[in-house]
Amino acid sequence: MDIRRFFAPSKPVVQKPAQNGGVRSVEDQKRNKAKPGSKTKSPETVEKSSVKRKKRAVLHSDSEEEEVEKKPKKSPQETQKPAKGAPPPKKHPVQYVSETDSDSDTFVSLKKPTKSDDNGLSKSAAAGPDKKATSAVSSPPKPSCRKGKVKSPPTPATPKAAASLPKQTHTSVLDFFGSSSIQRSDKKLVASTKRKAATQDMDDSQSDEAIARQLQMDEDLEKQLHDDEEFARTLAMLDEAPQPKKARRESGSPSKSSTGPAQLSIKISPVSGSQSRANSKAGAKGPSSKKSPVKTSSKLASMKRKEEENARKKHEGATKMVISPKKEPPRTSTSETQNVAKSGMPSTAKSEPVTTPVSKKISPKKAESVSPEDAEKKRVNSSAYRNYLNREGPRALGSKEIPQGAENCLEGLTFVVTGVMESMERDDAKSLIERYGGKVTGNVSRKTSYLVLGRDSGASKTEKAESFGTKIINEDGLLDLIRTKPGKKSKYEIAAEVENKKTPEPSRTRRTPQKTSPRKQTPAKKTPSSRKSPRGKAATPKQEPSSSGSLGAGAREARKGLSFDTAERHGASTTTAAPVPDTEGSSLLWVDKYRPHTLKGLIGQQGEQSCANKLLRWLQNWHTGNTKPAAARFGKFGGKDDGSGFKAALLSGPPGVGKTTTAALVCEELGYSYVEMNASCTRSKNNLKEVVAESLNNTSIKSFYSGASQTVSSKHVLIMDEVDGMAGNEDRGGIQEMISLIKQSKIPIICMCNDRNHQKIRSLANYCFDLRFQRPRLEQIKGAMMSIAYKEGLKVPAPALNELILASNQDIRQILHNLSMWSAKDKVMTYDQVKADAKNARKDMKLGPFDVCRKVFSAGNETAQMSLMDKSDLFFHDYSLAPLFVQENYLHVRPAAAGNLKCHLVLLSKTADSICDGDLVDRQIRSRQTWSLLPTQAIYASVLPGELMRGYMSQFPTFPSWLGKFSSTGKHNRTIQELASHMSLRAHVSKQAINLDYLPYLRSALLEPLQRYGADGATKAVQLMNDYDIIKEDMDSIMEISTWGGQPDPYSKLDPKVKAAFTRAYNKESHLTPYALQAVKKGRRGAVDAELGEGGLEQESQELAAEEDEDVAADAMVKQKKMKASKETTKQQKAGDSGKGKGKGKGKGQGKGKK
Amino acid sequence: MSLWVDKYRPTSLGKLDYHKEQANQLKNLVQCGDFPHLLVYGPSGAGKKTRIMCLLRELYGPGVEKLRIEHQSITAPSKKKIEINTIASNYHLEVNPSDAGTGDRVVVQELIKTVAQSQQIQSSTQREFKVVLLTEVDQLTKDAQHALRRTMEKYMATCRLILCCNSTSKVIAPIRSRCLAVRVPLPSVEEVRTVLTNVCRKEGLSLPGELAKQIADKSGRNLRKALLMCEACRVQQYPFSADQDISETDWEVYLRETANAIVSQQSPQRLLEVRGRLYELLTHCIPAEIIIKGLVSELLSNCDGHLKAEVAQMAAHYEHRLQLGSKAIYHLEAFVAKFMAVYKKFMEDGLDGMMF
Repeated sequence: MDIRRFFAPSKPVVQKPAQNGGVRSVEDQKRNKAKPGSKTKSPETVEKSSVKRKKRAVLHSDSEEEEVEKKPKKSPQETQKPAKGAPPPKKHPVQYVSETDSDSDTFVSLKKPTKSDDNGLSKSAAAGPDKKATSAVSSPPKPSCRKGKVKSPPTPATPKAAASLPKQTHTSVLDFFGSSSIQRSDKKLVASTKRKAATQDMDDSQSDEAIARQLQMDEDLEKQLHDDEEFARTLAMLDEAPQPKKARRESGSPSKSSTGPAQLSIKISPVSGSQSRANSKAGAKGPSSKKSPVKTSSKLASMKRKEEENARKKHEGATKMVISPKKEPPRTSTSETQNVAKSGMPSTAKSEPVTTPVSKKISPKKAESVSPEDAEKKRVNSSAYRNYLNREGPRALGSKEIPQGAENCLEGLTFVVTGVMESMERDDAKSLIERYGGKVTGNVSRKTSYLVLGRDSGASKTEKAESFGTKIINEDGLLDLIRTKPGKKSKYEIAAEVENKKTPEPSRTRRTPQKTSPRKQTPAKKTPSSRKSPRGKAATPKQEPSSSGSLGAGAREARKGLSFDTAERHGASTTTAAPVPDTEGSSLLWVDKYRPHTLKGLIGQQGEQSCANKLLRWLQNWHTGNTKPAAARFGKFGGKDDGSGFKAALLSGPPGVGKTTTAALVCEELGYSYVEMNASCTRSKNNLKEVVAESLNNTSIKSFYSGASQTVSSKHVLIMDEVDGMAGNEDRGGIQEMISLIKQSKIPIICMCNDRNHQKIRSLANYCFDLRFQRPRLEQIKGAMMSIAYKEGLKVPAPALNELILASNQDIRQILHNLSMWSAKDKVMTYDQVKADAKNARKDMKLGPFDVCRKVFSAGNETAQMSLMDKSDLFFHDYSLAPLFVQENYLHVRPAAAGNLKCHLVLLSKTADSICDGDLVDRQIRSRQTWSLLPTQAIYASVLPGELMRGYMSQFPTFPSWLGKFSSTGKHNRTIQELASHMSLRAHVSKQAINLDYLPYLRSALLEPLQRYGADGATKAVQLMNDYDIIKEDMDSIMEISTWGGQPDPYSKLDPKVKAAFTRAYNKESHLTPYALQAVKKGRRGAVDAELGEGGLEQESQELAAEEDEDVAADAMVKQKKMKASKETTKQQKAGDSGKGKGKGKGKGQGKGKK
Repeated sequence: MSLWVDKYRPTSLGKLDYHKEQANQLKNLVQCGDFPHLLVYGPSGAGKKTRIMCLLRELYGPGVEKLRIEHQSITAPSKKKIEINTIASNYHLEVNPSDAGTGDRVVVQELIKTVAQSQQIQSSTQREFKVVLLTEVDQLTKDAQHALRRTMEKYMATCRLILCCNSTSKVIAPIRSRCLAVRVPLPSVEEVRTVLTNVCRKEGLSLPGELAKQIADKSGRNLRKALLMCEACRVQQYPFSADQDISETDWEVYLRETANAIVSQQSPQRLLEVRGRLYELLTHCIPAEIIIKGLVSELLSNCDGHLKAEVAQMAAHYEHRLQLGSKAIYHLEAFVAKFMAVYKKFMEDGLDGMMF
């Protein structure tokens, strides 16, 4: 708004009042809340609220100059006027302060080691590794990461967010993440400023402080509990409904949770401040401790003053700036305390504070007021939706020059874009904002700083924005904003700088007040913090991920989940680690360098029911479980799914999700030593037997040294990695051997594979406890990646990281590799660069043919962005199946372009033509091996049909029936060919003529006597068969082929008695065929069986059996050379032994020498 | 008691019922003692095979009627084993190389070579050449046809080829030029009638002239079909009546129903149904050309004016592509879709025209 005022005088007038009102309201609110809400709030709590206000003001100042002015006034007025005297710095300093939040995290990490000392005892062995990791992290960053510091601030924040909100949707996490850091910073700023001011008042304040501290500590404890619960609740809500949550959370949380944490921070701050000050060189720290009493009183006054004196204070804002540089050191100290606040409040952009208070107030009202109007709204909405569907694209694309703004000038601002922009596509606008550090969200919330209004925008967003007091700007406004906003140093950089300063300081032990809250299993649950001393500072959740080298975002939860570490109850979060030398891992791949060292460090394996925990329990119970009677062992469905009946576990899942790591860690966790065999070992049957059996019966030398002679069997695990790689000649019989090994094993075996449903694995899976690894969710990975990037000094914007994670399809290993590659190139990545790189790094995901088919025809955003190459690439996911799928399913698509039926039919026709063209190309490709034509086929067979028919599919894509039809065509073809060759002596015709002309009539000729004369006609039919040298099986195939459209086969409709008579008549005499019957053998047996079942002719079967004996010697292979003329005579001659073994697939041709 | 078609099949050139002039020419040809390679072609049911068998009998005497079925297995150079059935007498060998699918080239090469390489010993009493009868030559792959070229010349001394096919359009020109082409046209309706009447007389039945004509019409002058129909009629009802129902084959009925379905409604759903029906036809090994032909003849009867020309042109277009492509259903469906689009447009435009 302010900016507008400056640049566009007309608008500001309108909006200003609203803001002011909002501010006031906030103040009131705060007062109200602060006092009634917190029952025993000490002066400090009040102070806190005031601090918040200040922060907001500060925030404003960042974004808008006027507000800045206000703030300075307040702060000086309240606390220190001396500060004003200082030369006016730029606004940047303020921002620096904000970034210090992240710094605080690093401090926390420093603290941790100390904590660990305290907690170390309580912690179980499991904690050990964590400690190491943490120490490694904490220690290295200072010296190693100059750059890292810059980046570091963001990273620590993210893990925390991710950890706390594991279930959040992607977007929500982003918001949470991005905003939170900023808010913290604001608070800190305020706090720090106050403190400075307070320094003069120190003497007075000290005593007050002490009292306040005491009171607060008590309160804090309570409040924290509260806060945690509420926060958990909000988080739970988030989980339920990702979109709505945000808004609600923001609205709800700021009031309670935000105040809570804020209070905490303030309360704590004096303590920490005092301590830190004592330690620290910077005098700045001192001031912070002084603040409380004075401030509390002054706050309200200051707030009022601010409002009144909007207009003037630019100079003073400058003065503030002066303060800010000094503040930096204090910031750092205070920042720790604010961590708590961070966790509580996903904060908004700096500019937001103004808007946020307003929104808070309004929100409750809104909900009430809106409801009655619903009906009307609906109507409006429906019409609006219709309009929405019809609205055009940008009219004057590219007509406006996109300004070149200062770096990061929009940082901390949240935008919502609605409607159609005149000069750019919406996506372009989005990326423009993101490029300058702004954030674009889909819905207007309190955090939203600007609503960018385009043509035909939705009414609801506008209303909402108005209700929240969000500033509404148009497209030009946005561009102006970019043009005019001063650039800032990215908060990442600032944080890094701050950290640099800090690092020399000795690490202090800081503790956060402990939450005694019961551990909940909900994802929302905050990490349990260890409580050390009454005055302990909270080790904020953030600290942990950042400090611990482990990948696990939700590490703490994992700990909880693990039943074994009961000792951990309190101190889970404090992971100390033996400081790992920084140089270690410099030569390692990141994947190995940051391989989790504890179970808690695993990404996405923290739940109670996660695979890692299941595996752990399984392994724990293995020896008890397997002493049960053998019967229980292999019952697939026996008992609960703890796998106690199984001697082996099978971990399956996509690559890069941590299967091997999990297995190894679980073994370590339980003190098992393991032998790992992977695909690089030969694992043939013999080899397995020897090597594995041998090694498993060995005793480890280690036990000799330790003196505790253990039987090896109890502490060994065999890890068979990549079992699906057991293939080929090398590993022949490997799976079978594995199974037998599992059956006899005295030790647990852990198998791993990617494709659980692979044919080879299936047999193995029957003997294994089946654990399927899923890909971790985006947020889980992001947290860990952020911390790694931080440790490596790599600056990756969160959106870019998201992009990267999605691009690699949640393959952690690949993400790490990509990050590693980038870091080699450039430590600081710009948004554009990263976005481009992330696109390049996109893992080619193999789509199934069904997905391909769906994508080919899908309309809307998904395909709007696809280039021609992308579209034709769809075809190449499986170029043999894709055209079939397209052809099969194009009829099910309702093309968006088709207005009426006529149009639809024309489109269908064009599509069919294109598909035909594709077929022609296909023929060329396959007949001449001209595979270079494949892209052409892609266009014809996939892209064009997709373009023509683009719309929505009324059903799930069906599998191409062509394949089935083709094979049945082939089968019929063979049958007919056989028939034709049998009949060839009489009919002299090609198989096509047989099929088209003969068969229908031949069938009726065969059946007619049976139908007309019943059993008496049997001989006649048999006679005809003999004439045409048709055997019984041919008869069946005739019936089969001449059946149309599901009509019943007329033969099957015959009376069973007639059929039996027919069969008898047929069997009564020998049938001399001019061809060898061998080829038909198999078919015959089946046919006879069927016939028996059908007619129920036991008698016949007996006969057959009897006859069989006679004819066992009969030679089916004799080739017959037969003359028509001689046929009769031969029959008679052979009549004696004519009972032909027809039953058992005995060939029945009779050797017949004609000549 | 075989079917009439086979029972009354003429066995010598002299007994042929129609195209007697051509029969005479063939007779003369044989009587000269030698004859070139023959390419006998003509539509199905015209009597090609019968004529060839008569010719062989004329050539070698009744010995050619002593047929046997032999099962041969040939090993291709790629070690692939190809199994094929042949029909042979002492004097000739009949084989349908296309039974071997893509291995037909090997069949042509090996089989003909083995036959041709063996000399007749008693050349005084016998012809000094054997005859290899290749059926369905138009189904041969181009490879096999090219392999045939050289073989035809090389073994001219000991072997004569008689190629039998429906259409020469798929026989490559070099082969056509090496053969004496003998076209066996369909008998005229009158000839069919005569044949039917004769057969019935031999069976001791009296066939009304009208019925005979109807059968001839309905069979499309396909004599084999006519005889089969005639016999079916006999089974169905005797004595014959002039307006008797003549049973058609199932696939013809099915095809006609399909065509009616197309005409009665034009919609994507209907197209889907039609696709199912086309698949049914194809899986019954009804050749796609016959399907499209059947469809067109039915569809045309439902069109009028310039639409007829348009549809016929369309059909030709798609039939052509059918030959070029490999998946018949695509082209059949494309034809149907096109017809639906055109027909729908035509009908709607027509309606609009009437309204204004």
